[in-house]
Amino acid sequence: MTVIELKDVDKFYGKGTAKVEALKNINFQANKGEVVLIMGPSGAGKSTFLTIAGSLQKPTSGQILINGENISEYSNKQSNNLRLNKIGFVLQAYNLVPFLNVHEQFVLVDKVKKQNNLSKADLQKLLEDLGVTKLIKKYPNELSGGQQQRVAIARALYANPEIILADEPTASLDTKNVEEVGKLFKKLAKERDKAIILVTHDPRLEKYADHIYEMMDGKMSKKK
Amino acid sequence: MFLAFKEIKREKLRYGLIILMIFLISYLIFMLSSLAIGLADENTQAINSWDAKKVVLNKNANISMAQSVLTKKDLKGIKLGKKEAIVGQTPIVAKAKGRPSTSAQFLGVKKSQFIYQDQDLISGHKAKKASEVTVDQAFKIKGYKLGDKISLNDSTKKYKIVGFVQGAKINIAPIVYGRLSTWKSLREGMTNVEASGIISQNANYKFNQHNAKTYPIKTFIDKLPGYTAQNMTFELMIGFLFAISLIIIAVFLYILTMQKMHNFAVMRAQGIPSKTLVGATISQSIILVVVGVVIALIAMWITALILPASVPLLFTPEIMVIGSLGMLIMGIIGSLIPIRSILKVDPAKAIGE
Repeated sequence: MTVIELKDVDKFYGKGTAKVEALKNINFQANKGEVVLIMGPSGAGKSTFLTIAGSLQKPTSGQILINGENISEYSNKQSNNLRLNKIGFVLQAYNLVPFLNVHEQFVLVDKVKKQNNLSKADLQKLLEDLGVTKLIKKYPNELSGGQQQRVAIARALYANPEIILADEPTASLDTKNVEEVGKLFKKLAKERDKAIILVTHDPRLEKYADHIYEMMDGKMSKKK
Repeated sequence: MFLAFKEIKREKLRYGLIILMIFLISYLIFMLSSLAIGLADENTQAINSWDAKKVVLNKNANISMAQSVLTKKDLKGIKLGKKEAIVGQTPIVAKAKGRPSTSAQFLGVKKSQFIYQDQDLISGHKAKKASEVTVDQAFKIKGYKLGDKISLNDSTKKYKIVGFVQGAKINIAPIVYGRLSTWKSLREGMTNVEASGIISQNANYKFNQHNAKTYPIKTFIDKLPGYTAQNMTFELMIGFLFAISLIIIAVFLYILTMQKMHNFAVMRAQGIPSKTLVGATISQSIILVVVGVVIALIAMWITALILPASVPLLFTPEIMVIGSLGMLIMGIIGSLIPIRSILKVDPAKAIGE
């Protein structure tokens, strides 16, 4: 089932000679239960794609459909609610609130989103799956890069979103940890029926993807 | 409130320093306010104890009772009820064997009138004879005792202290209450002198004849030497302290907010509403101010207990409430300054950084 779809999306910055065409006629879709990779070199437009797909920016033209509903003209408040309820972000680094311990990262989600979060039992299971159960009282600066990334994934999943958007999730990880994170995303997509979209330039993740898109100079093409 | 508490708990040193600044400013505000009120009280406590509403003085005395002289001619035809009292005031130096010389104000009063009758004695009794006086408790603090015999200025005549009176200061000087006839004898060479002025507890009292003129008590108090200038100086200092506290809170919170912009962008990207972040910033400011002010209140209370009674410090509930509320308002205003930056956080900045 298609959960997110981009149709003929353009994103331009500036005007005249200063005009930058960050995204050009992007067509993309991701289904529940799938891991989709967006690959490409720096400056290809991967981050812009992520901000448009995650309703952090509006496209210049085109449509973004979440469960068939066009969100491209959403107000800031509507976008906020969408991100809170339907989209989970896993960002590169420093994406955990530095003054909250692991347990409190989930409490913060509870404070702003009162319903449809994972139950205590589900959270416990998730933390066990991610191998971070013993880190519950630790602060982000007491965790390794891999541990931080797993906690960030747990936090993103805790709000029970349909879509996970991950920005360079393996940027600061060694090969062993990359393999673990790759397997984890694959498992979470299948078992929890999420659409997981990974923006990366890390080829080590390719084997875990159901589909791969390549980006170059703002254009997207399907590789797998 | 959750984010505010957690951040303060985690960043104890950083927020501890802000609390220290707020504590020091609040303490200074409480101290200056207490001194201002204490000094103002010592200027007016006798007038307040009389519950005076109007005062009749010589119109050429620049509204100063010590300078005022009312003659028989000035007071001809005056009607004095239960709420009026004739007083004679003159500055004196009181001396007694083995005691320090004390600058004071002698107040001659009549036994039949309310100023004599309403004296608030803390020990002893009211003066029954012309050779007896009651004095402000400041004399007691200086070591004077009941039964001490004091001389006034160069006079060889001695007056026995028979009572200590509470709240008997005017223009910071302690009062020596005696007979009106004694006051007359202290004003040697002035014939036909009847009094310095008339104090009335009646707000509608009026007597304007020859050189006598009636003034509202507020006008009289404002003209006490140095009173208005002293109060304005304190008010200015306290006002500046409030402004400084506003700037400190605003600058600290602004710097902290700027340092947290990336965190805010990440939280906004995750759907945490701006109002949660704004609420956390305002809550943080309130917590910091409340903690700083409470510590300052405790420190000020201890200070008030430790300081000697001769220091004119009056730490009243009004100072506590107004000072605390003032600091809280400054804190809230200060926290509003970085809010514009929080509202303008672009959640897209969280991506690709």
